Amino acid sequence: MSARTSDGPTRAAVRDRLDRVTDPELDRSIVALEYIDAIEIDGGHVTVHLTLPTAWCSPAFAWMMAVDARDEVESLPTVETARIALHDHMHETEINRGVNERLTFAAAFPDADGDVDAVRSELDDTARVARQYDAVETLLDAGLDADAIVDFRLRDLEEDELVPDRQFESDGDASETVAVSVRDRAFAVVVPAAPLARYLEKARETELVANPADVLFRTPEGDPIDAETFDLVHRRGRLATVSMSSQGGICDGLREAREGRLEGTAND
Amino acid sequence: MYQYNGEEIFVIDGHVHLWDATEENIKHQGGEEFIQCFYDYHTTFTPEERQWSIDEYRRYGADRMVEDLFGNAAADMAIFQPTYLTDFYTEGFNTTEQNAELATEHPERFVLNGTFDPRDGDEGLEYLEELHDEYRIPGVKLYTAEWRGDSKGWRLDDEEAFEFLEKCSELGIENIHAHKGPTIRPLNRDAFDVADIDDAASSFPELNFVVEHVGLPRLDDFCWIAAQENNVYGGLAVAAPFAQNRPGKFSEIMSELLWWLGEDRILFGSDYALWNPDWLVEEVVEAELTQEDRIEYGVEWDLETKRKVMGENAADLYDIDIEEKRRAFREDEISLQFDLEDHYASEEPAPADD
Repeated sequence: MSARTSDGPTRAAVRDRLDRVTDPELDRSIVALEYIDAIEIDGGHVTVHLTLPTAWCSPAFAWMMAVDARDEVESLPTVETARIALHDHMHETEINRGVNERLTFAAAFPDADGDVDAVRSELDDTARVARQYDAVETLLDAGLDADAIVDFRLRDLEEDELVPDRQFESDGDASETVAVSVRDRAFAVVVPAAPLARYLEKARETELVANPADVLFRTPEGDPIDAETFDLVHRRGRLATVSMSSQGGICDGLREAREGRLEGTAND
Repeated sequence: MYQYNGEEIFVIDGHVHLWDATEENIKHQGGEEFIQCFYDYHTTFTPEERQWSIDEYRRYGADRMVEDLFGNAAADMAIFQPTYLTDFYTEGFNTTEQNAELATEHPERFVLNGTFDPRDGDEGLEYLEELHDEYRIPGVKLYTAEWRGDSKGWRLDDEEAFEFLEKCSELGIENIHAHKGPTIRPLNRDAFDVADIDDAASSFPELNFVVEHVGLPRLDDFCWIAAQENNVYGGLAVAAPFAQNRPGKFSEIMSELLWWLGEDRILFGSDYALWNPDWLVEEVVEAELTQEDRIEYGVEWDLETKRKVMGENAADLYDIDIEEKRRAFREDEISLQFDLEDHYASEEPAPADD
């Protein structure tokens, strides 16, 4: 298989873009979750085939993943158009048509109550809280205490080293590190970069952290954290990771059951 | 009773159904999607050799249910939780009246819960009174995502819902079970949002709110609410079968629940026939928390905790005297049917702290 067709993107480049798309309920890459069946490249035209764990995955979630996949692939300069082909879903017709004709969710699903923005932001919040847990664990491991952690501002991070890129996938290269200044730059610690980069990406997306003076870590409600409630907030972060990974367990199981059934049918 | 290391654990299955999803009973495509979705959950979390065929699963009948629940004494009692879905199924999926046929045949073994739907207005209030008069229902199962005409669901903190909760309080129907859990095709996910429990629970402190499926996939929202409202309980249906094929995940979920709610507010339920207590009880009781979780959370899944979660907590909510039941089951009809007289005959001294 040739990696590059004339004028079009490489398969690796498309895959890399798709790797930035998450299942919003699990906050994991749709590539890592193996939802991508195939990538077809025809010059500047790319078609992405995907299948979700069950035929009745929430249409809103399926929609978000399809739209995000389309937009990520189209962000490559070598891509003119990206098409999405969702398979084996209750609403594949509406979703494929809506995404490829660039309709809004409300136009694609006239029966639904409005758009997906509210659901998306709620899921983003859970993802942020869970990612914060991982980032804070990294800082605790580095020997920092609650007082120092609740005090962190965006300016205390060497931001340039934390470009939001999937090189920081949680299961990615653990050797990347970043320097963090502590107590008004009295000293700095060097910690693994991935958890902080992943957290920062979600904190920015949810618009909680934008300016250098903004407090970096927040309660699930979005407020700065009191040192006295640090432990409880951190517990809630842990809880968010368990909640998402439990749902991941259900989705994995449903997908295995479905694949088993399809194989069974094929063998009949 | 489950025999655990020589100790007996009295098991109340807090969540069972006797449903009819035969094609003749399905009147809306949603009914077919619903049972297929249940079947996916069934096959996903059931050991391969214990899986049913879809035809068995559509309707299993009262005899099989009694055998599955009590035949090997995995469960000692069970609580019926109706699911009406009358927009999908001609006669309903499993209504109070349908469940009552079996429940009234074995009143010593079954607790019969009713339901309400605030969208039914005054008629609904009358129906709730009827269920109370007819069956003395001690609780209700609520399905906030149920379709009714154009409506795709309701919330427990609606003004209309509060009227029904007031009626429950007035009638002494104390246990409010709300299905708040995984998306079930074709019901929409947001109708299973747990947030509405918060206001209802704080407005009705005299009622107990049992959140079925512990809010999964919103375990975080559920635990946070339950940590603040001490009349909120967690029903383990759906979380329980993780013990079978996702033991690490089960350990984490159980550790979180024990940390946030404590051991007195978690209730076992199989969600029969989604899963079958005749293997599930063993999986849950024999499950262990990982060493890592025990250290991190400082909680134990020990004999005392198991006794509470598997039976004693439900017994407290439903005023069931476990010792009295043990004596009664030495010679009730079900024990005779399955030769369980000896099983219940042992003279176990009452726990020292009673």
